[in-house]
Amino acid sequence: MRIRFYIFYIILVALQIVLGNYLDLTQYVTLCFLPAMILALPVGYGTIGVMCIAFVTGLAVDFFTHGILGLTIIALVPVAFCRRWLIAMVFGGDVLSRGEDISIDKHGLAKSLLSILIATAIYLGIYIVADGAGTRPSSFNALRFACSLVVSTVVSVFVSHILKSSDRWS
Amino acid sequence: MTKQVKAYSGVINAAIFVVMEVAALLMLSGTRSLQDIWINRASHRTHAALWRSGENIRNYFTLDKQNRALAGENLVLAEKVRQYEGKRLAIANGIIADTTQGEYRFIPATIVKASRNSQHNYIILDKGRADGVKPHSGILCSGGVVGVIDAVDEHYSYGLTLMNPLISVSARIGREGLVAPLVWDGLRTDRGLLKELPMYYDLHPGDTVFTSGFSTIFPPDVPLGTIMRPSEVDGSVQEAVVNLFLDFKSLRYVTIVENTASEEIAGLEKTEASE
Repeated sequence: MRIRFYIFYIILVALQIVLGNYLDLTQYVTLCFLPAMILALPVGYGTIGVMCIAFVTGLAVDFFTHGILGLTIIALVPVAFCRRWLIAMVFGGDVLSRGEDISIDKHGLAKSLLSILIATAIYLGIYIVADGAGTRPSSFNALRFACSLVVSTVVSVFVSHILKSSDRWS
Repeated sequence: MTKQVKAYSGVINAAIFVVMEVAALLMLSGTRSLQDIWINRASHRTHAALWRSGENIRNYFTLDKQNRALAGENLVLAEKVRQYEGKRLAIANGIIADTTQGEYRFIPATIVKASRNSQHNYIILDKGRADGVKPHSGILCSGGVVGVIDAVDEHYSYGLTLMNPLISVSARIGREGLVAPLVWDGLRTDRGLLKELPMYYDLHPGDTVFTSGFSTIFPPDVPLGTIMRPSEVDGSVQEAVVNLFLDFKSLRYVTIVENTASEEIAGLEKTEASE
């Protein structure tokens, strides 16, 4: 059973909601570690299951954060959809066939960082475009994307590490 | 996992992904008017692109029909221009009566078969006796003279093109210049040869060559091409290569032209000859 993992998962979703509501760094930074959490889900989970988790997670975040229903979902579900492809590309196909969970301790910081970076880039790319809804200039979106990617990736590495550590304790 | 199962699973994943994204889009458009406008705009753009593609495909497949309609329209306009030109010339020359109007009858036709690679080239058109085509009618197109109808069947007609040594067109250099026979140069699909020009005549490259109207086949003043290179032949006459306006390689739609007075003229000639 991975009860501790799921408890930590829910706590981190709650933390994301709190940060979304109260942390207002700048308009150029969107802090989000949900893609890393989706990546940290057990590798054995199928794409459909992960997409469902991403959908529910996104729905909860949207519902409790800004009231823009669908904004997080639209960006998070593609991360879940690409997850297996991303893991196979960064960590190798063997990880998938063995059903071996990925972690910084086991696979190293570089690979973990790369996978989180790509997942976060997918998420932020869609999120920023959908949030701007064609009203903001491309230069603003590009700068927001770059700043958010740097901040979110750094935070996501810690979040991923916490989630994986909780999995080991259980 | 077999390849088939993998493919099947991939399709299901993609389908569920699309359903979830559509659900998210619907939620997004229902929550905020800004996102609603954005989604609607994107949707309209997609619709427009799809419609445009569909319209392009439809247009492509109806090109032949459109070309036929344009050829017909072109024919009517060309006939009107000839009538106005005839009236203008008649007025300019002080002639009161308009003798050119109604002298020629035009029938649009499509080329069914055309030879271009032999020395005696021919053309088969999709109009025949049933459409009013008669032997010895001319064949024209927007680029000039194509040839002459040689034989007519019920629904098809056989013509000899200008790319045939048996065909010679009476041509005039400029509107009021020298008249000389124009024949094919025997080499290219867009070159003619203006022959039997007297040595004293000063030829200028770039001068336009028109039909003279001296034959009973073609109406006068149909542009044929421009003079390229004049040259001497045996020191007694000169000839000139003509760059034809029409290229036989790209020919598809033509106009059959019949001189309605040709029988009357032929009858007159016969009477004169017998006397």
